[in-house]
Amino acid sequence: MTLQSEAVHRLVLGAVGVGLFLAIWQVIGTYRLAGMTWPPLTDVLAFIADPSKQGLFVRAMLASFASVALGYVVGILSGVAAAMLGQVLPIMRPGLDRLVAVIHAVPLVALAPVFMVLANRDLTPPAISALGVFYMIYVATTSGLKAASHTHRDLFTALGSSPTSRFLRLELPAALPALVSGMKLAIPVAFIGTIVGEWFGASRGLGLLMVSAMQNFQIPLLWSAVLIVTTASLALFGLMSLFERLVYGRFQ
Amino acid sequence: MTETAIHLDRVGKSFALDNGKQLTALSEIDLRIGKGEFVALLGPSGCGKSTVLRLAAALETPSAGRVTIDGKEPQALSRAHRLGVAFQDHALLPWLDIFANVALPFQVAGRKVDDARVKELIGLVGLAGFEKARPRQLSGGMRQRASIARALALQPDVLLLDEPFGALDAVTRRHMNLELQRIWSAQRITTLLVTHSVDEALFLADRVIVMSGRPGRIIRDISIPFERPRHPSVMRDKRFHELVDELTLALEPEGAAP
Ligand SMILES: Nc1ncnc2c1ncn2[C@@H]1O[C@H](COP(=O)(O)OP(=O)(O)O)[C@@H](O)[C@H]1O
Ligand SMILES: [Mg+2]
Repeated sequence: MTLQSEAVHRLVLGAVGVGLFLAIWQVIGTYRLAGMTWPPLTDVLAFIADPSKQGLFVRAMLASFASVALGYVVGILSGVAAAMLGQVLPIMRPGLDRLVAVIHAVPLVALAPVFMVLANRDLTPPAISALGVFYMIYVATTSGLKAASHTHRDLFTALGSSPTSRFLRLELPAALPALVSGMKLAIPVAFIGTIVGEWFGASRGLGLLMVSAMQNFQIPLLWSAVLIVTTASLALFGLMSLFERLVYGRFQ
Repeated sequence: MTETAIHLDRVGKSFALDNGKQLTALSEIDLRIGKGEFVALLGPSGCGKSTVLRLAAALETPSAGRVTIDGKEPQALSRAHRLGVAFQDHALLPWLDIFANVALPFQVAGRKVDDARVKELIGLVGLAGFEKARPRQLSGGMRQRASIARALALQPDVLLLDEPFGALDAVTRRHMNLELQRIWSAQRITTLLVTHSVDEALFLADRVIVMSGRPGRIIRDISIPFERPRHPSVMRDKRFHELVDELTLALEPEGAAP
């Protein structure tokens, strides 16, 4: 009962926050408080809703979201696989840790042009997404695999568990909450990776739309692209938060 | 005495501390527990009771001396899935329901889960009807009962219990003692129970060992004369009170000198 009312309370507060943000946006735009480059929210929404622009947006969205999804899935699978490899073959662990640290130390923005030259230009956005997601998931899974308590480990030893059984029945389920938290935090990373990748000259996508709108001073178009990306990222982030709460309730 | 099951032969244990020093937790522990015997280990906290139990469970290795179970290394027992353990922290897996938690030893041992046996054990510890419940939905006492049912799942040769009722209130604890006595009487498993409750030790055990700390040593070894099965009324027996007094005295800091 109290838990539910607390959830409702938070939902209401969140809605008020979002509403306030949108209202301020509208006011600043209407009275041109930030100059001509800050349009009112209603102008941006009208621009997006304009039937003549539908084709443009749908094509860009399909390209970008496909890239986000591809990078997200590949990043998660490879991150989990690498973390598991380090757990099952501890001899690989130091090497993996160092490799991942190096990958993380190289700024993704610097990698994008290299990818452009090396690979297919339309593969660059998902590749950058995947790299960022991979790092996030590797770190989350690695720390999650250490999350099982000492008493649980002792229990498995006393029960005569094989390493495989310990991994499947204890370490992996105990790692799930950390993994899901990582998956939640990886959502904006996947979006940023795709947009940055597209800036460097992909042939389609919302990132490309942003760059060309900026260069051609198409202010409503620029804001529309930003609004679409942000809304999608926030919506998925919220969905993952719900999923995260479900997993925490069950696995902790 | 009958055949020896657990044998600690002049066992010492020291831990390397973070500051580089050595902490001697146990020294010269000589302890034999017979097959089918129920031994309670009493002592002030920090005297090394858990360490004794962990040595028997092969969760620690002795720094001196030797630990054997049925003449073999203690690892042999756990590897053969013949060991049952329960800790103060119930150590139930939060993502499994009660049935799956009690069935865990079967799965870890790679055996087909004996549904009837798991059901029977859950009934035995008074949790019938809670098979589908998750640990977090149960009270502390119910969780402890589930962890004892799990310890018994594979009909172990040896049962090691480290203050399994330590976190429970007095009433629940007494209730659990009665149930444990009933279960144990039916199976007569070699049992080592670590506790710091004198009443619990006297009510349940065939023998009570008293330890003193720094370093942990055995200072008393008392056989408990009460007939089994024991009724709670035994706690009002004059002899029971005399033993309580004797053990309480032994547990006092100066009680070590006879
Ligand atoms: N892994 C460990 N590392 C360092 N010291 C330990 C370790 N385990 C136990 N000790 C120390 O050994 C002593 C005995 O501990 P323990 O057996 O847990 O006592 P008890 O169960 O009687 O309370 C304590 O002083 C404790 O701090
Ligand atoms: Mg202890």
